[in-house]
Amino acid sequence: MTTLGDFLRERREALREGDRRYSLRQVAQRVGVEPSFLSKVERGESPPPSEDTLRRLAAELALDADTVLALAGKVSRDLQEVIRRRPMLFAALIRELKDLPDHAVLRLVREVRDGDW
Amino acid sequence: MIELRGDSLVFSFPDVHPDARLEVELQRTLRIPDDGRNHALPPGLGCFPLRHVDDHAARLPAEWVRRGGVMLPMYQAEALWIRFRSPAGYPFAVKVATGKINAVTGERWRDGLNRGPQDYVAVPGQPWLDGYVVEKGFIRQFVAMPLGAGYTAEEQVTGAAEHGGLQVMALPLKREAWERMVAERAEQARKAPPMPRFAAAPAPASMAMGLGAGGRMKQEIYRDTMPMEDWDLRASSRCFVHIANSLVWRSITGTEPPTVPPTAEEYTRAGLPWFDYYAEGRQAVEGSGILAAIKSVFTLGKEKGDVPLPENTPVDPVHVVPLHEKPASATVREGAF
Repeated sequence: MTTLGDFLRERREALREGDRRYSLRQVAQRVGVEPSFLSKVERGESPPPSEDTLRRLAAELALDADTVLALAGKVSRDLQEVIRRRPMLFAALIRELKDLPDHAVLRLVREVRDGDW
Repeated sequence: MIELRGDSLVFSFPDVHPDARLEVELQRTLRIPDDGRNHALPPGLGCFPLRHVDDHAARLPAEWVRRGGVMLPMYQAEALWIRFRSPAGYPFAVKVATGKINAVTGERWRDGLNRGPQDYVAVPGQPWLDGYVVEKGFIRQFVAMPLGAGYTAEEQVTGAAEHGGLQVMALPLKREAWERMVAERAEQARKAPPMPRFAAAPAPASMAMGLGAGGRMKQEIYRDTMPMEDWDLRASSRCFVHIANSLVWRSITGTEPPTVPPTAEEYTRAGLPWFDYYAEGRQAVEGSGILAAIKSVFTLGKEKGDVPLPENTPVDPVHVVPLHEKPASATVREGAF
């Protein structure tokens, strides 16, 4: 499985091939971190940044934020809040569905309920 | 089956056909002045946020939860239009009512499809509906008012303020009829043109809103030319869309409602576009006598000595963008503001 650092670096370098504004220095600047820090993150030599920094990095590199957070070993705050409010329910749901193939998960829809009127 | 996807209501009928998918959006817009003149189409300013009532049941009146469905926030005197999209071009008959009064005929809600007069719109021919069909080729815009103050179409037609909100029912063309259509029009490759035009304690009853009649606009409801037997009357889905006063939206959902939209005057003064829609070869339905007789919010306000509409300055749009029913044109009815 890819590491966070590799995932970010590969993406940034792919973007840099088409656009010089994706150098380490410029991306770091736009995201608001030191280039040396971003370099360490890409090389796996530093613990992962905060959720907010990871989100800004994901946005800057047009990556899915939840994927980046997961690679960083984090769960987004909003998902944590959902679980925290009804932990037994959502923990059971996730465990039940953890091995379901993609298409089966995607078929789980939430329908608009039509009541009595 | 109906799903809420983002802020769209998505009707699908997997047992009828995989292509049978209809998207209904409720668009924020400008309130057109009620000044006796006929106006062009105002822009879409983005969708109203839609939420399942079940997700906020603890803060809603019991009747809302009993009816099920979804809800959206509107400010008093805010306007709304409804956009219909059938991405695969699959035909649907869609009935729209406000306070269970049909917006095309003014009749009370009943299930099924009716003609003479036609009480539904046919999609994809009909891209949108902005209000009550008061005359052939003209509507009066949907404008939100608190339920119980006498302004809504429902109260004027029935004398009671029982339901409020907006009701939508869709039913698909029969599978066999669609397959015949697809075979016949294989060469035409005619897809539906993308037609973007642009609590704590339970809340008190006054937060329930309904829709009344605003200013006049040129808009045709197209006569359905499908044979009645081609509509699949056994397959229908309906949804109750509650309208909550934006002022209490935060106490119900914990999120902010959208900001108050610009006035027609502000928007026009900024040089932003209005729209005109033309569909060749389609007949319009006649207006409803019942709906023509309802008084507009502005008129009722004057009679009651109220000022329900804060801003009713006439506008003269300089910039009107013509839209027509041709897939080739990038028809956009959106106004960024």
